Amino acid sequence: MRSALLGTLLIATLACGSLARAADPAAAKEKAEVCAGCHGDNGVSQTENIPSLAGQPDQFTQWQLVFFRGGARKNELMQPIAEQITNEDVRILGAYFASLTPPKDAKPDDNPDLSKKGAEAAVGRRCASCHGDSFAGTKAVARLAGQREEYLVKALHDYKSGVRNGGAGAAMTDVAYPLSDEEITALAHYLAHL
Amino acid sequence: MKSAFNRSVFALAAIAFIAGAGQVNAQQKPLKSYESGNKEFWTHPPDDWFLGDETEAQKGLAPPSGPPTGASDAELASLIKKIKLAPGFKIEVYASGVLAARQMAWGDKGTLFVGSFGLGNVYAITDKGGKKEVKTILKGLDMPTGLAFRDGALYVVAVSKLIKYDNAEANLDHLGEGKVVYDDMPSYAAHGWKYLAADKDGWFYIPFGPPFNIGIPPTSLSQVRRVDPKTGNAEIVALGVRNSVGGDVDPRSGRYWFTENARDWMSDDMPSDKLNMITKLGENFGYPHCHQGDTPDPKFAMGHKCSEFTPPVLNLGAHVAPLGMKFYTGDQFPADYKNSILIAEHGSWNRHKYQGGRIVRVIVGPDGKNPKQDVLASGWIEGDQGYLGRPDDIILDKDGSILVADDWAGAIYRISYSKK
Repeated sequence: MRSALLGTLLIATLACGSLARAADPAAAKEKAEVCAGCHGDNGVSQTENIPSLAGQPDQFTQWQLVFFRGGARKNELMQPIAEQITNEDVRILGAYFASLTPPKDAKPDDNPDLSKKGAEAAVGRRCASCHGDSFAGTKAVARLAGQREEYLVKALHDYKSGVRNGGAGAAMTDVAYPLSDEEITALAHYLAHL
Repeated sequence: MKSAFNRSVFALAAIAFIAGAGQVNAQQKPLKSYESGNKEFWTHPPDDWFLGDETEAQKGLAPPSGPPTGASDAELASLIKKIKLAPGFKIEVYASGVLAARQMAWGDKGTLFVGSFGLGNVYAITDKGGKKEVKTILKGLDMPTGLAFRDGALYVVAVSKLIKYDNAEANLDHLGEGKVVYDDMPSYAAHGWKYLAADKDGWFYIPFGPPFNIGIPPTSLSQVRRVDPKTGNAEIVALGVRNSVGGDVDPRSGRYWFTENARDWMSDDMPSDKLNMITKLGENFGYPHCHQGDTPDPKFAMGHKCSEFTPPVLNLGAHVAPLGMKFYTGDQFPADYKNSILIAEHGSWNRHKYQGGRIVRVIVGPDGKNPKQDVLASGWIEGDQGYLGRPDDIILDKDGSILVADDWAGAIYRISYSKK
């Protein structure tokens, strides 16, 4: 596990050539310890309404930390933590969580019909045009595949009600606003079981 | 009374192209209509209102997302070595860590105030023994891209509110809530971010972009207003304006000049972005009917001719994204820079090979006739679709050098000139 992690980080370092990513993985893991309490060991959350971070695109995690720090994204637990984080740490954490193996639901899909509805809704709402055909996310756009189901429900409701606006562009507030509760339930079920 | 609101969400560029090639535009789909006679429509515009015009070949073009923490000092040091400058000019990093930096304004006591894009921050940069200290003085505002400083007060325009912070430089650590002095502005995020330019009377020119790429705009948008922050009085000075995020008052004539970003999804090379000048109150610059002074919109021309509208002073190029601009009134640069216009081009996203991403100069008389353009600084674009940085605003410093804001690298640069 450790050597695999090291390898991934090394590749990221070489690919990006960024000084920030040259930080050693042990130090990155240590920095991420403050996150593990809620977001789980290795970035896979075991806690209701807390998202998994493993496998999130580097830039997505970085943007969320910067949004929390600046107050554009509001959360009473995350804001005080993010306020203490330097730019350097933001880069290290982004690279660290991107290097972890994304979560995958071990249990089989208990409601394939609901997943089918969710898949249809995802096509109708053009989710894949930003989140990618495999919903793995890219750059500043979140990975949705394998995310905790109830967290996806919460996130979509937060966008729908305007509690969360995603910082810059208004894409998610606009997309989520017309979603029905049924669509949200189906989308979350589908994406969580990918 | 119910009113129908028509606009296309289909592939306009494809239609224009096919028609131009001598084929019948049989694929033209009917205009899509929306029910706009309710409050719901205006608080939550349809989600396909801003996108949806792209052709198959244009799929995948999207505004790129920059590094969330900007460029590190090491990255900036290597970046400025790649910037190409007109002879005799020099560029250096003035301040780093100014994330998403947009419009700049000087305080009377030498504080440089800087707005930001989606982050919601306003920064104050002060000199601490030769080192620049960047302090976040306001947080959580709605896209506070535009700001100005007048009579000791900092003004910030955050989409739907113009907010005044009195005695700002003495209160950098506790600016408070400020006072909203003008709020007759819609809250749309799309093209809702703004710019402030004060005239000699202390009124602000404020641009109002349409909440979409192209369409018939709501009556309160696609215009430039002149607003008195003391009374909240306002007048419409220009109509038919798409997304403008930069302008300045001509020191020679007192007239307002402004940059304007033209529509997307037509093609890589059409239409051109513009530099405009207002000569009479309320004149119409053509959007959405006519682009770049000579090109009727394939769908929204709606019988209008380009001759009905005020043409641009200069077409700056397609998708170069001209934002902040200033008349150069300093004495440091060569003599022919005096009263010329410096424009920060943010660069493309809706183009297969990006262009812009540089500082250009326009030499033009106060009448707007015979403009000439050249490049002061370039090199922020790497490859076809890569950015090292994206210039978005310019301000003069006391010594006649200029500062340039970059919201991609999160940095402020200084460009200076010396005769050798």
